[in-house]
Amino acid sequence: MDKLAFLLSEGVKNLWRHKLTSFSSIFSIFLTLIISGTLIIVSQNTSKVIEYLRDKYKIEVFFKNEITFEKVEEVVSNINKINGVRSTTVISKDDAEKIFKSQFGEDIMKIIGYNPLPISCVVNIVKDDTKTINIASIINKLKSFQEIDEINYQGRIISRIEGYYQLFVRLMTSILIIVFFISIFTISNTIRLTIYAKEKLIESLQLIGATRSFVKAPFIIEGILIGFIGSALSSLLLIGLLEFSYDLIYTYLSFKIEYDIKLLILTLCSLSIIISFIGSSRATARFLK
Amino acid sequence: MIQLNNLSYTFEKGGGVSNIEMSMQDDEFAFLIGPTGSGKTTLLRLIYMDLLPQVGNVIIGEYDSDGIKQKQIAFMRRKVGMVFQDYHLLEDRNLFENIALPLHVIGCSKDEIVDRVKDSLDEVGLGGKESHYPGELSGGEQQRACVARAMIKEPDVILADEPTGNLDPVTSFELIKFFEEINREGTAILMASHNYNLIKGRGHRIIEIRNGSIRKS
Ligand SMILES: Nc1ncnc2c1ncn2[C@@H]1O[C@H](COP(=O)(O)OP(=O)(O)O)[C@@H](O)[C@H]1O
Ligand SMILES: [Mg+2]
Repeated sequence: MDKLAFLLSEGVKNLWRHKLTSFSSIFSIFLTLIISGTLIIVSQNTSKVIEYLRDKYKIEVFFKNEITFEKVEEVVSNINKINGVRSTTVISKDDAEKIFKSQFGEDIMKIIGYNPLPISCVVNIVKDDTKTINIASIINKLKSFQEIDEINYQGRIISRIEGYYQLFVRLMTSILIIVFFISIFTISNTIRLTIYAKEKLIESLQLIGATRSFVKAPFIIEGILIGFIGSALSSLLLIGLLEFSYDLIYTYLSFKIEYDIKLLILTLCSLSIIISFIGSSRATARFLK
Repeated sequence: MIQLNNLSYTFEKGGGVSNIEMSMQDDEFAFLIGPTGSGKTTLLRLIYMDLLPQVGNVIIGEYDSDGIKQKQIAFMRRKVGMVFQDYHLLEDRNLFENIALPLHVIGCSKDEIVDRVKDSLDEVGLGGKESHYPGELSGGEQQRACVARAMIKEPDVILADEPTGNLDPVTSFELIKFFEEINREGTAILMASHNYNLIKGRGHRIIEIRNGSIRKS
């Protein structure tokens, strides 16, 4: 037990003696973990975000004025058969009038004496995120109906957002891989500097009969401490940001971010231990004879 | 017991020791004497297995250098105390921490370490100087600290490489007398020196080395 305490205090001393390099290692681990954490949260929310966006995919179809309601129903049943269409809601001339009244507070019949509003239909798109849907082909099929006068849709902007979202995930993953190796390298470099600075101690320890693992232990502990500090800082920041943005995003977009704090902390901790262990083992294996 | 059988070691650039045959009993006090460059340090390094023999073998207690593992070497060194000409004390640790280091390696408890360090510093006459750093001690005091660090693990043998090299004649004699005291309590001592005047007439065995070979034992 006292032996462990000794090794631990040696590790802390090492860390403290090289504050600047230790700081750079902590920072690189911190960066790696922030990116990992963001990716974890993003991937936990991917399907929800796509569902959320697709829920807002609305194609509004306006029929020509001379088309009868019966004809519209026939066309709509054909629209429902288009691949990628989830559901449709027909808005009759009377419905449109009511909507107009509720939105503008005016009775259109009183203003111009007749109802000029056309029959329309809201086309909803499948939400399922497993298949990417081709909005353009749906639009083209809708355009082929003679009975349709005008089509309104926000599909392009939403599929662009989906594209950005996927680009973001891919970019973050590549950056993660890079910073992962950078942090292994900086930790290993920090430990190497400590080993150089401790040459005399290492020599003395070997002369008085310390085993290899005893000599190595403070350096490995130093590395793990760096990892631990990095993961504590990044967990704090991520959780803080999440708590802060949760309400904000809910208020403005009524989207609830899904996250699991325990899983997040656990993943970040294990990742930091893996990084710091690889980093410090690499240094001790290469620079401790 | 130390036994060297047909021991040879040659450095890449030449120099070293060759065909060494020698043995030492458990309670013996021996001087290894020879001019500078004759191979004393090399021989001692072979004994504590800092160098491994190219020919022959070293047997020290239950350990044989033939095919020995790193871990066995570590355990062997816990039975061997080393004293150096330049003391090998850690400048950034105080006297207490320096002397305590071998006990941390063995895994002693904190209380035991405090007791044993105090006893051993009293024994070498450095009681009360626990908080001094090596730079705050005289040469003679540093050498006694070095001896205390070697003695604290209660070794079977002490290997001293020119321990008096940086000491004045009076302090040197005191150190040798101190070694004799330790030897009387049953620790074998092998002390290398190039200073024949210092050791003659004390009735100890003298092993003479010249050009890497033992002349007279
Ligand atoms: N590390 C070394 N590398 C190369 N040659 C060495 C080394 N150590 C000692 N030698 C050579 O081995 C010979 C014996 O040296 P050493 O054992 O140090 O002598 P002593 O301790 O008796 O003064 C010398 O010729 C020296 O040059
Ligand atoms: Mg020498």
